[in-house]
Amino acid sequence: MNSELKALYRDTLLKHSREPKNKRVLKDADAYFELKNPLCGDLITLYLKVSRRMVSEATFEAQCCSICMASASMLTEQITQSDIEGGIEFADSLIESLLQPGFSIATLENEDIQSLAGVKSFPSRIRCATLPWEAFKGAVSRLI
Amino acid sequence: MIDRLTPPPVPEALKKARDDFPILKREVNGKPLIYLDNAASTQKPQSVIDAITQYYADENSNIHRGVHLLSTEATAAYENARTKLAAYLNANDESEIVFTRGATESINLVAHSFLAPLVSAGDEILISHMEHHANIVPWQLLCERTGAVLKVAPIFDNGDLDTDSYISLMGPRTKLAAIVHVSNSIGTVNPIERIVEAAKDRSIPTLIDSAQSIQHMKLDVQVLDCDFLVFSGHKMFMPTGIGGLYGKRAKLDSMRPYQGGGDMIAHVSFDGTTFKAPPYRFEAGTPHIAGGIGIAAGIDYIESIGRDLIHNYETQLIDYAANRLKSTAGVRLIGEPSHRAGAISFVMNSAHAHDIGTILDTEGIAVRSGHHCCEPLMKRFGISATARASIALYNNHEDIDALIESLGKVHQLFG
Repeated sequence: MNSELKALYRDTLLKHSREPKNKRVLKDADAYFELKNPLCGDLITLYLKVSRRMVSEATFEAQCCSICMASASMLTEQITQSDIEGGIEFADSLIESLLQPGFSIATLENEDIQSLAGVKSFPSRIRCATLPWEAFKGAVSRLI
Repeated sequence: MIDRLTPPPVPEALKKARDDFPILKREVNGKPLIYLDNAASTQKPQSVIDAITQYYADENSNIHRGVHLLSTEATAAYENARTKLAAYLNANDESEIVFTRGATESINLVAHSFLAPLVSAGDEILISHMEHHANIVPWQLLCERTGAVLKVAPIFDNGDLDTDSYISLMGPRTKLAAIVHVSNSIGTVNPIERIVEAAKDRSIPTLIDSAQSIQHMKLDVQVLDCDFLVFSGHKMFMPTGIGGLYGKRAKLDSMRPYQGGGDMIAHVSFDGTTFKAPPYRFEAGTPHIAGGIGIAAGIDYIESIGRDLIHNYETQLIDYAANRLKSTAGVRLIGEPSHRAGAISFVMNSAHAHDIGTILDTEGIAVRSGHHCCEPLMKRFGISATARASIALYNNHEDIDALIESLGKVHQLFG
């Protein structure tokens, strides 16, 4: 296996993809958002429970690849007990640092999420990592 | 299907063929390229590349217009492609070959110029559950405009068409029966002869999507007796951006133009315009001339090897590939049709199709991952994506063996 592939499929990422956290439907969600990558068919639905602008619970359902699955799992952990604005700021930083060649996600203070950095060597897989975060922003936009 | 794990011998004519495709000599990620994404697009032989280069270097000019030598030569070369295509499909006459951008545009042309004037609310258009989006969406758009109804014939769990159901859905209001000849995603070969026969008995026009069969087997539109047949050049060793529509002359004569513009008119005045006879009526504007010249060279190339030889060899190779995949740990085939050509879809227990695609890419192996523009078919199998290996005349058992070996690495990584 070449070094870029090893960097893509780090143990942390594989662990999240094999045993994703919070992968379930949230029946009493305050907002949910379904997002599909039409290019490949990956489908994710993100559910949020929010109280006083704080995310009290975040879950997801998905039919997707390991990168998207791991990213979604990490997202639910990152944003739970975070305020909405902080969550959006984090999502924006992550998306930007994955999409922009000069940016590094090493500055994001979440070691698990730093394991997503490997996608930068695989341009066709970047959207796999950003899809859950876009879904999160979509769900937030539906909150009253 | 006979279980066959012995690799088929490569005929002499095809051993040499691999050298005709310059791209197959390149490396991908430090490994020799193994190209198994032929259902998406085939590679081009040097003779096709040379023909296009020669056109731009020595013959470039517009067609059907100038009296100067270059235009005369370009016109002859472009029309030569039409004549070759007509012979390739055994059309009655070259006027039955309309150049388009590809199979998708050909279907849209039929929807717009043939079917739209014929359908009204409650009329029916018949397709199958295994169609490419190109043979679904143009009809849906037409249904939206007219109130016509899209009827979808089911398939069996093994990926075969439920042909009896397809035929039983042909009713008094069916205005067109459209069907894919070979499924781009699961490789099923459909019994188009039986379908056309049944449609003819009921006076229903037929359209065959041959995008995935025309490069693998002989097609004879006179024997088949379909009304329309569509195809894309780039899936048969020819350039992108050009393909064609075969239509029976009587049908083409009855149809309105698809697009208006230069080259498709007989006479234009502000009081009204008259149109040329088919096929030119459907070819507005300057066409993809270099593409047409590439088509002529591509047909010469295929014929120099022989379609029967290609078909016979590929049938053995795809059987070999299917049987090897079936006996590979963690791999499950999606669709095990009674007759297969070109493509095999599969999933793995632990690894998603995209992960398979990425890992294979690092091994120099190109396959397609995704829904293959067949979302309804994917849904039918309860999945969102597959990995697909698809072959062409230059592939051999070593390509398949390399695929199997690399899938072992995927299995190792994802468990």
